[in-house]
Amino acid sequence: MYYNIGKNNMSRELDLSKRRRRIKFDILFFLSVLVLASFGVLVIYSATRSLIPGGETDPQHYLKRQALFLGAGVFLFAVLQFINYRKIKHFWWIPAVIGILSLAAVLIFGYEVNGSKSWIDLGLFPIQPSEFAKIFMIITLAAILSKKRNEKANHISFKKVIFSAAAAVIFIVLVLLEPDFGTALIFLVIFIGMLFISGANFFYVLSALIITAGGFVGALQMGIIKQYQLDRILIFLRPDVSIGGAGYNLYQSKMAIGSGGLAGKGLFLGINTNLNYVPEHHTDFIFSVIGEELGFIGGFLVIMMFGFIIWRCFHIASRSNNSFGLLMAAGVGFMVLIQTVINIGMTIGIMPIIGIPLPFLSSGGSSLISTFLGMALVSNVFIYKEERRDHEIAYDDFSDEL
Amino acid sequence: MNSNIRFKIIIYFTIGLLFALLLRLYYLQIISGETFAEMASESVSRRTEIAAPRGNIYDRNGKLIVKSIPVSAIAAQPHLLLNNDEAIELLSDYLDIPADDIREKLENANISYLERVFIKTGIDKPTMIKIKESNNRLPGVEIVDIYLREYNYGVLASHILGYTGEINEEKLESDLYSDDYSGGDQIGLTGLEEQYENILRGEKGEIVYEVDPIGRPVRVIEESAAVSGNDLYLTIDIDLQKITEEILYNQIMAVREKTLKNSDEHYIVPGGAVVVLNAKNGEVLSMASFPTYDPGIFSGGISSQDWEYLRKDENCFPLNNRAIMSYAPGSVFKVVTAYGGLEENIVSEYTSISCSGIWYGLGSDFPKLCWKKSGHGSLSIRAAINNSCDIFFYTLGYGLFVKMDNIEELLQKYSRLFGFGDYTGIDLPTEDKGRVPDREWKKEYFKERIENTVWFPGDTVNMSIGQGDLLVTPLQMAMAYSIIANRGIQYQPHLIKEIMDQYGNTRAGDTISNWKDIELDEYYLEVIEDGLEMVTNPGGTAGYTFRNFPTGQIPIAGKTGTVEVYGKQDYAWFASYGPIGSPEYVVVVFLEQAGGGGSNASPIAEKIYRYLFGLDQ
Repeated sequence: MYYNIGKNNMSRELDLSKRRRRIKFDILFFLSVLVLASFGVLVIYSATRSLIPGGETDPQHYLKRQALFLGAGVFLFAVLQFINYRKIKHFWWIPAVIGILSLAAVLIFGYEVNGSKSWIDLGLFPIQPSEFAKIFMIITLAAILSKKRNEKANHISFKKVIFSAAAAVIFIVLVLLEPDFGTALIFLVIFIGMLFISGANFFYVLSALIITAGGFVGALQMGIIKQYQLDRILIFLRPDVSIGGAGYNLYQSKMAIGSGGLAGKGLFLGINTNLNYVPEHHTDFIFSVIGEELGFIGGFLVIMMFGFIIWRCFHIASRSNNSFGLLMAAGVGFMVLIQTVINIGMTIGIMPIIGIPLPFLSSGGSSLISTFLGMALVSNVFIYKEERRDHEIAYDDFSDEL
Repeated sequence: MNSNIRFKIIIYFTIGLLFALLLRLYYLQIISGETFAEMASESVSRRTEIAAPRGNIYDRNGKLIVKSIPVSAIAAQPHLLLNNDEAIELLSDYLDIPADDIREKLENANISYLERVFIKTGIDKPTMIKIKESNNRLPGVEIVDIYLREYNYGVLASHILGYTGEINEEKLESDLYSDDYSGGDQIGLTGLEEQYENILRGEKGEIVYEVDPIGRPVRVIEESAAVSGNDLYLTIDIDLQKITEEILYNQIMAVREKTLKNSDEHYIVPGGAVVVLNAKNGEVLSMASFPTYDPGIFSGGISSQDWEYLRKDENCFPLNNRAIMSYAPGSVFKVVTAYGGLEENIVSEYTSISCSGIWYGLGSDFPKLCWKKSGHGSLSIRAAINNSCDIFFYTLGYGLFVKMDNIEELLQKYSRLFGFGDYTGIDLPTEDKGRVPDREWKKEYFKERIENTVWFPGDTVNMSIGQGDLLVTPLQMAMAYSIIANRGIQYQPHLIKEIMDQYGNTRAGDTISNWKDIELDEYYLEVIEDGLEMVTNPGGTAGYTFRNFPTGQIPIAGKTGTVEVYGKQDYAWFASYGPIGSPEYVVVVFLEQAGGGGSNASPIAEKIYRYLFGLDQ
């Protein structure tokens, strides 16, 4: 089912048997993305209007920056709509190589923020390669896991599983080396989600989970992950801890959100967040600003928007007759889903405190632009889909690589 | 499992996760929202107190004596500043105080967990600006507006006014200074400032404001202005006070020039006191104590040199208010013995007693001498008062002792009747009770040495001339003489005429004056007054002093006293009131180690009377 928007009839069911093929665009999907991201710019302005001590001197600094990134994101989105994603598959190794090289580069040339060497300065502005690498990994995995012409619909060969796992491990290990456990976790969830959607045997999915758990315990045992890091991550399980480090963040964030009540204190009127009581309240803890200023109603609407966008990703994926497009859109869906759940969950104390941004809303160009890249891919999959025959996966046009 | 089912699983999974987020959000915001809202607003708000201007102090004619002036002070939170050597150095540089002094102050405060300690009060504008600009480098340092005392008349009346200073830890914890005080507050520490602390202090204001996580104020939420304290109008006449203090000072300087009889030794005169009461109602018109001090040096914290000076033995303790400290009264006390003798019929007004200079009333083993070795001859009570004949009063005292075997301790009874041995109730915090010695007291006082615990007739005899263990304050003596002047009406000495709030409404006025009739025999008091009148006339013990005083028009009742104090020079007293007939003033003079009361103490009273009656203009 698709939607009729007003009288323009811009988007409607495509019926190839009767009509000439036309470009279709999921306008509602794009609009919700645009609305959510624009809302993010507004909330960031609210969060950064009062200057952060020792930070920028222009109260509109973050507002302008985020608006600029939003513009760039929309531009990239628009440009990408004109390239058929199937062509991307043909050159899947390019994003794979760029992703891996950029992650390797950040380990060498990058600089540290909050204990992770995850930023690299390109001269004009710093970027966070791991944000973009998510998209690159999604493309890589989609390419590896997608079907060849003669393959069975609900089956994935062991070779592909190993191959995709190897690719995922390279990405994950590079991110772990920064070290950025939060982002690595996102990579892992995307991989497992895509593996699941690709039709892989549950045994493989289960194995991936067991190996991950084993690796984690091993890392803890060998001291790669320190106990204090684990404590920090798991602080949310101890709501009584209210001071110092991550516990302080969580305590302040819960207090700010809780104090918002039903309708919130009003946009721009969130005292606890605006006065910088919640650290990182314009980036990782942006949801505490929404919770405090717009209350339960605002939080509810934001979560609903995310729900709609995520559902749309999966829906577009499920309607795609091309397994590469399907996996790519689903991968993006997993990316938004897991980041949303973990980020909002951590601000309200039901998820571990790992420093990952909230898609669309957290301040920061890398996150916003890479999220828009993902959205562009999903929209692209929608535009260039083919009619899907019942219970069959269409054969790819260019599926000779694997 | 086909991909549609897998997608369905994922969609349900997504819905489940987002629903969990919403559920948690509902719990935080709707169910516990109010609790969090309270916590949130508490965590961002701070309160600051605004100091209230202390009430002014005026004299009886509305002349401003003490006022409050706003000054800026540098306050610091010890725990924030103490370990920051850089900040201490900077502060030391700005305030021109050695860094070690600052450190010491902070350490002392830190040990006693004071939240705030004043580093320096009364800083100038440039310093203030410098400190404000270096805000970031001086954590825990703030500029606070406080009020300090300024004294329009300098050292005048300092013992009455008292001084103010920072509240200390001990007081902060005591019940008297309840929750309303906090570290750094200025409170009255002595004198009227202490006595009327609750009247003078006013009400602090308060500002509630939002702060950011590093404590910088962002926005004012609530503000209540400070209410200034009530003003005190004293019974003191500041001009008379000035005259009194000058006369006392000049006389002490003059006496110090004199030498003892047959000796090169000078009188030491370490101190003295004068009390001038309004005879009609107990108002204290002036009250001087020598040596004196400048209460202004306490304003904003006294320097250690000043403090040391005030506490050194050789400087005779200038902080002491000698007018309410107790000393042996000597002959000025004889009026009490006289009254007791008359009332108890030991003598009548006509009874004559012969004085040969020596008295064997206690037995031939215990001869008692009169101050006049040659004796006074035969005297009645009026002449005995005039001449201050010891033997006459020995006889009275012995008579009072013998009567009913001293069961009632009659001399003590009359002493207490005249107000000795108890507080006069003057509104000053450190008043001495004095001492009326009796059997009970002696038993308790000498319990270490049993042989001394018995009350001997000699004890009463000694007491009858104001010697022995009797101790009285100059103020008590003034009250006793005002009782004689008022024929048995006792007015409580007091210092406050009126208390006025900031809007000019009187909070307490005439009701301050307390009086009671102690029901004395008026005629006996007249007899005593007759004797007292003779004292200031030719032939009296103060006759020479009053030789130029118009005692004909303004008759003064007076009594000199010269007290022998073991190991010290004689103490000089002069107690008086006048004019006889319709007494207006009571003047009592006391000088430590200054020789004869007639020659050295009475001139002070004479000069004060001259001023009071306008004789020198």
